[in-house]
Amino acid sequence: MRRGLSLPERVVATFFGPAASKLAVMSKFADITLDPGIIRRAAKGDARAHEILYRSFATPVYSLCLRFTRVPAHAEDLVQETFIEVMRSIPRFRGDASIGTWIRRIAVSKALMFLRSAWTSRAQSLGEDWEEINLGNAADTNTAYQPDVAMDLDSALGSLPDVSRTVVWLHDVEGFTHKEIAELMGKTESFSKSQLSRAYQRLRPLLETGDEVDDHAAAWRSC
Amino acid sequence: MSANDKDEDMIYGLTADERLRLQSGLAALPETMPPRAVWERIREQGEAEGLLKKPARTRSWYLPSGLAAALVTAAVLMVWSPDQPPVQNALTVPDSLPTNAQDADGLKALMVESRQLESDLRAIPAAPRVMRAGTAATIAEIEDRIAAIDYQLSDPDVSLSPEDEKIFWRERVRLMKSLVGLRYAQAQRNAL
Repeated sequence: MRRGLSLPERVVATFFGPAASKLAVMSKFADITLDPGIIRRAAKGDARAHEILYRSFATPVYSLCLRFTRVPAHAEDLVQETFIEVMRSIPRFRGDASIGTWIRRIAVSKALMFLRSAWTSRAQSLGEDWEEINLGNAADTNTAYQPDVAMDLDSALGSLPDVSRTVVWLHDVEGFTHKEIAELMGKTESFSKSQLSRAYQRLRPLLETGDEVDDHAAAWRSC
Repeated sequence: MSANDKDEDMIYGLTADERLRLQSGLAALPETMPPRAVWERIREQGEAEGLLKKPARTRSWYLPSGLAAALVTAAVLMVWSPDQPPVQNALTVPDSLPTNAQDADGLKALMVESRQLESDLRAIPAAPRVMRAGTAATIAEIEDRIAAIDYQLSDPDVSLSPEDEKIFWRERVRLMKSLVGLRYAQAQRNAL
């Protein structure tokens, strides 16, 4: 009998998708577990094992990349880069962290690398002067910050500049510390804190205009 | 509230309650599935770069399916000979195997039925290039589940008990029936 997963877990995972039993409860990287045998087979280049790995983690990876880039085509490219990197590196995966945490780290690195290159190509940088750099962007979405304008959290997040949106997501959803964010971005901890603070300032009107955040979450939970 | 929390509130400009609401709202935002074509691109690149071994064609479900097919063939040959005309409906399943898997206890019956459904599926015209998004998603989901079952049944590290194996085969038959039904309906719609 397969080690690592009980029969009920295996049956649920099989009948409802490779990671359905976990995804049904929580869908974040670290909460998705895989049979160690699949990881071992993936490390040997087994195509079916890699397909299961992909099907288990494609959604959180794509969602993360989409949050960072806001462009589906870019997110798809980043998913591809992430899983190709997984193929290259999984023989060296030691299991110190969960497989999900490991894949998330790769995805975040790829996404940040992409954003960095995008910023570079637009002559932008991860400098403290991001606000001036993104003035145009902020002006475009200025109406979204009027308290009397209905705005959901998703679009509010999307209207943030790339850097601060990324910091908010890494800190508040993925659970990265400011130190880790600083290392990933090649900046200081105070830079990360500053970005978070500025993002909160922009999101605060949403929190003051009622319970839209809670409503939004409740609506999705009820789906 | 600790001194640290107060400091953080001062830094971030939100109260603890506001932060909690924001964080729970962010965490509850829906995730998005990537398009199905992405895996194909990844697989092609992985194979091109030599990172992936092509899947072995010796899945264990082929063996029992092959045995079941051999049984069917043997049954046909026993009933039909060149000297006599073919007997109608002699094909399909040997007498010893029940035709309805739902009533059947035997693993072989499930395998045979699964094999027949595979054959039925192949007989349906190819899927249209344009199909309804909902139908496409449902078909894709069913195919994924069948693939996952095949993977479980073919895993050389797994030694399934007959009862476990029957559970997987029964589910495979159920999914295959759904898939055939959907594809048939789709083909009919396409023909109109």
